[in-house]
Amino acid sequence: MTEALRLERLFKQFGPTIAVDHVDLSVPAGSFFGLVGPNGAGKTTSLSMAVGLLRPDGGTATIFGVDVWADPVRAKALTGVLPDGMSLPERLTGAELLTYMGLLRGMDKDTVAQRTGELLAVLELDDARDRLVIDYSAGMRKKIGLATALLHAPKLLVLDEPFEAVDPVSAATIRTILQRFVTAGGAVVLSSHVMALVEQLCSHVAVITRGRVVAAGPVAEVRGGTSLEEAFVHIVGGRTGGSEGLSWLAS
Amino acid sequence: MVGILIRMKLRVLRHSLRGTQAGLTGAGALVGLCAAVVTILVATMDFGRPGVGVDVLAAVYLLWTVGWLFGPVFTGGGDETLRPEHFAALPITPRRLAGGLLGAAFAGVPAIVTFLAFTGLVVLADGAAATVVALVVLPLQLVFVVLLSRVVMAGLGAVLRSRRGRDLGVLLAALVGLSGFAIQAALNTVGPLLVEGGSPALSTVLRVLPSGWGVVAVGAAADGQWPLVLGCVAALLLVVAGLLALWGVLLERRTTRVAVSIGPRRGRTRSGIGHRLPPTRIGAVAGKELRTWARDARRRVALLSMLIVGVVVGVVPAITGGDTGPLPFAGLVVVTMACLLAGNLYGMDGSALWHTLVVPGAEAVDVRGRQLAWLLIVGPVTLVLALVLPGVTDPGLYPWVVGLAPALLGGGAGLIMVLSVYLAYPMPDQRASPFAAGGNPGLVRGLMQLAIALLLGVVALPEIAILALGSGTPAVQWLALPVGIGVGVLCWWGLGGLAQRRLAGKGPELLAQVRKQV
Repeated sequence: MTEALRLERLFKQFGPTIAVDHVDLSVPAGSFFGLVGPNGAGKTTSLSMAVGLLRPDGGTATIFGVDVWADPVRAKALTGVLPDGMSLPERLTGAELLTYMGLLRGMDKDTVAQRTGELLAVLELDDARDRLVIDYSAGMRKKIGLATALLHAPKLLVLDEPFEAVDPVSAATIRTILQRFVTAGGAVVLSSHVMALVEQLCSHVAVITRGRVVAAGPVAEVRGGTSLEEAFVHIVGGRTGGSEGLSWLAS
Repeated sequence: MVGILIRMKLRVLRHSLRGTQAGLTGAGALVGLCAAVVTILVATMDFGRPGVGVDVLAAVYLLWTVGWLFGPVFTGGGDETLRPEHFAALPITPRRLAGGLLGAAFAGVPAIVTFLAFTGLVVLADGAAATVVALVVLPLQLVFVVLLSRVVMAGLGAVLRSRRGRDLGVLLAALVGLSGFAIQAALNTVGPLLVEGGSPALSTVLRVLPSGWGVVAVGAAADGQWPLVLGCVAALLLVVAGLLALWGVLLERRTTRVAVSIGPRRGRTRSGIGHRLPPTRIGAVAGKELRTWARDARRRVALLSMLIVGVVVGVVPAITGGDTGPLPFAGLVVVTMACLLAGNLYGMDGSALWHTLVVPGAEAVDVRGRQLAWLLIVGPVTLVLALVLPGVTDPGLYPWVVGLAPALLGGGAGLIMVLSVYLAYPMPDQRASPFAAGGNPGLVRGLMQLAIALLLGVVALPEIAILALGSGTPAVQWLALPVGIGVGVLCWWGLGGLAQRRLAGKGPELLAQVRKQV
């Protein structure tokens, strides 16, 4: 089976803090891969390095056999990215943003126009197509970001928290789109904090904590006989707190 | 790709140019146009001496180049209409992106105005051959200034993202503030020298700098010195290619590295006056404010500008004029500047205002705490300057300076809160370049800010009246001190109260105003 994304010994340090500590990860083509981990575990840093948005201090990332940092142009052509907390050209309308991004990717005008219309309609952004991105809500920004990631029909989608702030109806739409994408042979890597969603959606999962991958594989293997949420708490060595202290609260 | 980026930029500009913003751009275009016309007129002038025309035009083009270097620093970190980050995920090499962004850089008022100014090269050209050379070097010279400006801003941007770099940026802002005076002095002395052709060294410098190469090439073509023409053109081409490659590298760095987060400096968090404040509500606000003044790069820029303007206004005339001039009053200048620069405290904090709005009754203490912090910063500086400077210059001025200082301090502490609450305007994200400090109050708001700050003069009126009436009798003049203290306390209390009531009544409206994205 070919690998859609492969991370080898990926390493990143910010000052004295080691954010990503030699991460190895293998995402098979045709898989729906979930990346989970506590806050500040290094998920976003790893994904940024995997798609060419943050230069690693060590290690390699390859997308369908193309080294991301040796040949970024070919790697980026194969990939659709939704970074977390991204900056968008705020003073373009949603439709204009998609149009220009498509043209910059070298797509022809008619294809861009047709896909822009379809994506905006499917993601229920057609009412907002002529509004400036600066006036979009958090959920709408996620959706327009997802649309730019899908526009050029990539082989691999790397999505950082794609469901955050998105309403339930749109979330269901996005889930369906992503499942169709995987069925058609594409690969999706997404990070999320919602275990139930990962459990239901993903074929594979990796747990990352303190910059290291501590468990990875098919979802059924990683969770064993329990729910993914219980397995997660067990794997990251935590225990759910909140029952001690705070006696002054609501007294 | 250049075409797409240009269309994209024009579209963004069309969406953002509305109302006063469009007016300001129009006014800027008009000023630029005048400068371009003056430049062309300079090119047509006959100085009656061979070579002087080339020298003068080279000097003018040096000014244009300097303008491209420092203009972005003043206007807030350069042209960020199209940000490289937006294209980071696209399969485009950094060098192609640099080329594309360079093309887009020409779609804008500054580049067009500069192009017009550079047509002076064609005007200067004497004969058909020189005209052809002028038409060749004109675009090269334009590409050179635009690229130079982009590369320098990109380089600074890379430096400014680290904390140490931010301190460097503050220093740089200070130097830029001073450079205005340097340019003025240079013009006064250099101008006549140049026209009379009296300094071969100066004319050599102007011709050797890249800003003069185009002019030199055109002049040399008229004289038939073809090797020199070819040398200049080749050198321009080389520099442009080098800058483009360098910009590509800087763009790649910008899109693939992140800033290390800005935290408190280790070991310095537990010291300082912020920790000696009483653990009360007002003490908490003041402590938070003092720390923010120290840690927010934009506030540091404001503080430093205040000191520099105080020094420049007070000391520079004293040095250049030989007269002590306004030097004894430097302390008062510092208060006035500090009042003007702190007139948008809520705008600087942005949407963080919600913290104040959700705590019951916090509006009142917030105003008083911010006043206290401002006084703790500005007060000592002012008092030291007010007590020392008249002593070393003219002790007869003591009643004036010492009488006015408390009034201005109190008035300033009141006015900053009135300005901050009534005339707040949103500012760029805190994580942006500290040079993006200006924000844009808009024309009306800006003028009103200035007008209200001038009320500081009203605060000074009673004291000035006493000082003028009692001139000659120090005993009467010293009455200005108690009056000044009284007026100061009254302003601090009364204007602060006005701000408190407004903040309590219109808090949500203020939040909506300052949280806007700019």
